[in-house]
Amino acid sequence: MTDTAYGTPAGDATARGGLAAIAARPLQWLLKLLPGIALLLFWQWASGRLIKEIYVSKPTAVAERLYELFASGEIYPHLWTTGQELVFGYVIGVAGGVVGGYALGRSPRLSRIFEPYVMAFYGIPKIALAPLFIIWFGIGMGSKIALAAIMVFFLVFYNVFAGVRNVDRELVNLTLIMGANQRQLTWHVFLPAAAPYVMLGMRLAIPYSVIGVIVGEFTSSAQGLGLFIHEASSTYDPAGVFAGIVILLAFVTVANILAGRLERRLLRWRALSGAGPADI
Amino acid sequence: MNDRALVFDGIGQDFPSPGQRNKVRVLDGISFDVEHGKFVAVIGPSGCGKSTLLQMAAGLLMPTRGAVHHRGRKICAINTEVGFVPQQAQLFPWKTLAENVELPLLLRGVASDERRERVASALNSVGLKGFEQHFPSQLSGGMQKRGSIARTLVYRPDIILMDEPFGALDAQTRMVMQSDLQALSMEAGATVIFVTHDITEAVLLADHVVVLSQRPSRLLANIPIDLPRPRNMFEPFRNSGFEAAYDAVWTEFRSQLDTGRVH
Repeated sequence: MTDTAYGTPAGDATARGGLAAIAARPLQWLLKLLPGIALLLFWQWASGRLIKEIYVSKPTAVAERLYELFASGEIYPHLWTTGQELVFGYVIGVAGGVVGGYALGRSPRLSRIFEPYVMAFYGIPKIALAPLFIIWFGIGMGSKIALAAIMVFFLVFYNVFAGVRNVDRELVNLTLIMGANQRQLTWHVFLPAAAPYVMLGMRLAIPYSVIGVIVGEFTSSAQGLGLFIHEASSTYDPAGVFAGIVILLAFVTVANILAGRLERRLLRWRALSGAGPADI
Repeated sequence: MNDRALVFDGIGQDFPSPGQRNKVRVLDGISFDVEHGKFVAVIGPSGCGKSTLLQMAAGLLMPTRGAVHHRGRKICAINTEVGFVPQQAQLFPWKTLAENVELPLLLRGVASDERRERVASALNSVGLKGFEQHFPSQLSGGMQKRGSIARTLVYRPDIILMDEPFGALDAQTRMVMQSDLQALSMEAGATVIFVTHDITEAVLLADHVVVLSQRPSRLLANIPIDLPRPRNMFEPFRNSGFEAAYDAVWTEFRSQLDTGRVH
């Protein structure tokens, strides 16, 4: 089978291959979008037919609701609050995770002492802390930032810790022989070696920061998308709930795209491989 | 004071062995000198602790007994006056080839103009001109190895330590690399310690071949190789005197191999 396929000089196989190459990208996009479109169509169709609309709303109603929210400006204060909470929570969590993970990864002595504690705290369901955080940090943005930050922190912490510990010992020794001091070692070896792990932690942490913020706002808050969704759901307004969720989806998507950009930039050396010359 | 670059003086090394109370004695009383500008090959059966000697010379490991002296000074910390070429090329994957070769100069505070010049000439001398902006993953195994050698030559270390550097290369690449290494070390007048398990490689490259025994390793012989240079790496048997030199090393080495298989 394979042999004959290779042997065909200019028949079907190559023609199809060429076409496939040209159509590949749009086709892939179409394939990616297809399930989403199908889901939306089914939702629209089923709403009011299979399930009561009051339970699930429908895509057109959600779109209409989104338009109203933005047109009237009703949503902007919520967006602004949640946006700030997300950004601050995420940044504080990532910074803490990178610094903590790096410090413990570099120092076997520190890691022997602190690893069990971090491990134990990691196991705590952070969501259970939400009411306490409200008491500690107030009903405003502080408690949501803290909740998001602590969820992000542990994810980033573990990834950076693992990344720093996995740095090839021989590479470190070589760099020392070349004349590096500790600061140079950090800059030229440990940080770049840990970069893929940092990026992985940062990407994983994006949805968790959203969970942290929304749970905090659900628990108790004066403003924010979580509050908006909570109110919509307690007043039997599924269109409002879905509108809020769509906005969160947009948040996460944009954050993922930004993280992807950063990753491509920082880890350029990883993407390039096997494209080089192959002589001695 | 004298022309001894490196002195191994009664080196002994024990390693803790897993599951046993007694330590494993790896090296047992090894002494030999390396003179300035000489190429010394260290050869021995696998697991005999050849690489351990190099780690000691680099100050990465302190011997249990004895001491290593570099220019009369006892080594007791990381020795930044040596260069180390490991078994794998170990280029930094996140740096381009030029940045890799530049790093030792950067770490040593060499000015940027001089850095650029020296990187260019080092890459030129190993035949990698034109690949400055490539990342290691874009280079073949042999090219990475050349990069690794350039990264060592660029800061002109007093002694170059090489740990089976060509072991992972295919036979053709290896011969070319051996030939280039001979040319480079002759030109630079470099002092080299070269660990290998290949007798032909040792005889062709070295001025002295140090033969170690099986564990616990003792020094079996320190054999001078007086073949004229440059030697032909591609046709070893064409070097006059090669057979006798090979035989001298082999006579010492054969006793260390599994006697059941050697006849």
